[in-house]
Parts: sequence; C-alpha cells; structure tokens
Amino acid sequence: MDIFTKGLWVVTMLWFIVSMIKDKDRTLNSMKRSKKMMGNMLGQIIGILFLIGLLLTFIPPDAIKEYLGSSNTFLATIISAIMGSITLIPAFVAFPLVGSIVDMGASIVPAVAFLTTLTMVGFVTFNLERQEFGKKFAIARNGLSFIFAILIALAMGVIL
Amino acid sequence: MIKKLKENKFLVFVVLIYIGLFAINGEKAALSVKNSGYYIKEMLTIMPVVFLLTALIDTWIPQETIMDYLGDESGLKGSFISIFLGSISAGPIYAAFPVCKTLIKKGASISNIVVILSSWAVIKIPMLANEAKFLSPRFMAVRWVLTTIGIIIMGYIVSKMVKKEDIPMGGEKVEDGKVLIKEEYCIGCGVCVKLAPEYFKIENNKAIVMDNDDYIGKKANVIKAEEKCPTKAIEIGRVRGSKVDICKEIIEEG
Repeated sequence: MDIFTKGLWVVTMLWFIVSMIKDKDRTLNSMKRSKKMMGNMLGQIIGILFLIGLLLTFIPPDAIKEYLGSSNTFLATIISAIMGSITLIPAFVAFPLVGSIVDMGASIVPAVAFLTTLTMVGFVTFNLERQEFGKKFAIARNGLSFIFAILIALAMGVIL
Repeated sequence: MIKKLKENKFLVFVVLIYIGLFAINGEKAALSVKNSGYYIKEMLTIMPVVFLLTALIDTWIPQETIMDYLGDESGLKGSFISIFLGSISAGPIYAAFPVCKTLIKKGASISNIVVILSSWAVIKIPMLANEAKFLSPRFMAVRWVLTTIGIIIMGYIVSKMVKKEDIPMGGEKVEDGKVLIKEEYCIGCGVCVKLAPEYFKIENNKAIVMDNDDYIGKKANVIKAEEKCPTKAIEIGRVRGSKVDICKEIIEEG
C-alpha cells in the first residue's frame, strides 16, 4: 500500500468515526445508498480485473516493447496509443519498460503516447464507465483522451 | 438467478472466456488468474475506503458547497480544485467512478468530473516520482504540464458535448406525466414555485408538488421548472421517446 492509499484510509476512518458519533442514523442511511451503488459496480469491477489478467497473458509487456521501439515513428505512435488503451500494466512495470527503450535510442513520441493512454483511456473499464456515466460521456471522454494523448506525445517530441 | 446473470453480463462473459481457455490451454488460463492477482489485491485495498468515502461525502458535504466549488459556475477555480482532488487520490480509475458519481449527483459539473476522473487516472504523486527516476525529471515535468493543460481543455470539450440529462442517475422510475421531487437534492431555492406557483410550494425548506394529478408533467411551466431547477431535483416521468410530443405541446401552448 503506498502512502497515499494509507493516508486516504486514515483520513476516511477518522471522518467515519466522527460521522458515526455525530449522526449515526444519517451515516448508516448514506452507507445503505452507497452500498447499492457499489453493488451495481462490483460485478463489473471483478470482471475487469480478470480481463486485465487475460490481456497481460496475451499481450505481455515484452511484446509492447517491440512496437514502441519500431523505426516508423508515426505508425509506432498510433500502435502504442492503441496498446496503451487496451492494456493496463502497473506503473512500476510501465516506467522501467519505457525508460529502457528510450535509453536504447527509440523516439519518445510513441513512448509518451503509450504512457498517457495507458492510464487515461480505459478499454477494459469502458463498459463500467458507460453504465455509470452514459454512453455519450464514456465515448467523448475516452475518444478525446486518445486524441489528446497523441497531441501531448507530439508536443513532447518537439519540446524535448 | 437469470436477472442476476443479465445484470452481470460482462462478468459472465469474462468467466466464459476463462472456462474456454482452461479447456484449451490450462497453462495460459492459470497464468491469467495469477496476473489478475495483483489487481485484485489493489482493489481490496482501495474499494472499502472508497465505499466509506462516498457515504461520507453524501452525508456531510452540502450540495451548495459542491456546487460552489465544482459546479457549472465554478470556472477555472473549479478545474484547479478538481486537478488537486484527482491528484491526491489513490487507486485506479474505477475507484474514481463511485466518488465522481456521488459528486455529480450533488451538483458537480461535467467538465470538472472529467478533470477529476482523468487526473485521478494519470496524475499520481508516487507515479510522478517513478517517472522522474526511470525517464528524467524534465520528461516528467513536461509531460505533467502538458497533461494538466490537456485534461482541462478536455473537460471543457466534453461538457459541450454531453449534457447532464445524458448521465444515468439511477433511482426510481417516475410514471408518465407524474412529477417527482428528489428531496435529497432539493435546496429549497423556490425557483420552481416562481415558475409554476399553481403546482409547487415550499414546505420545511423543500419544494413539494401540490397536486400530482396525471399529466401535470406535461404543462409547459412545470417543464420549465424542471429545466431551471439548479440541482436537477425535479424529475418528470416520461414514456421513452415522448420528448418530441411534449415539445410539440409546448409550442402549441405557446
């Protein structure tokens, strides 16, 4: 557990204790509503987690490395952005991986596109996002995130 | 049972893939389960706290406060607060969904929700440290600045494309023509009373519907009140696709 997760736990638990002392009924009532909302999401979330496992098996980080380092920068950028949208590899794997190929002399544009879509565009979480925020919202946010990831990557290529 | 399966179509779909994979290639299936392990652990450390947090926001943070800081009128200040909230949070993007859903119900604007969701996903302080270490501090800083600007612009564009009505709010279905006031969202501002005094009044600081006869929801001034309600607490029951008819009626009534 990183320090921010721990911090969140401490702050929330303290708040919860105060809340229970101040107004037990209201707190429990809200928890009931919260439970209903989370209940609707839980099945999806478990599905998402197991889907990530599948994707990691069939698109291992090493395969991504090959695409990121490809000599055709334009094509590599698009493919990297798509790869980043689909997979969900943990940050502590992603940064060393990207770092190593940039050190090897690969262009940073595909690398940035990959890093940005990795977290901002969620192919596996899309269904849940659609359920909770509506189709239009999910399409607009994920679509724009994809476009912006490429724009950010191009801008980085110019600046650095 | 069948209803449960229908509600969890996605999970059923994933389970079926696993069953198929176990039949064809047990080794790969076992590897996939093992790969999921890290994410399941991550979920277990974050979701209980998110659950409590949404309940606490719901209980203690007044609607007016959320609207002030994150509502449609919050402007650039709202964007910066959203970036800050997203950045100090923990956990993967799906942990942000329940929190954002609660905020949106309490009056946060769509653009700020996009900003919170995106910065929750991308801008993480432990992750920034990692990025500086494996790439370079300069790489991290430039990407951070560009991403922050990008996220704020994106929030603005999404808010122009998506309206609050496009977002499913859940809750009970209102019968066609009936009018429901969601008490937990009503702030008793009286806008509806001003617009349709013959149907709404304020009692104990909450608006109530005086006479909920069938089809008062089709009166033009009631529809106007629904639109103008600052917290979207008024809901008119509509048969799907009948919005066009209502519009026609409004035009006819003038």
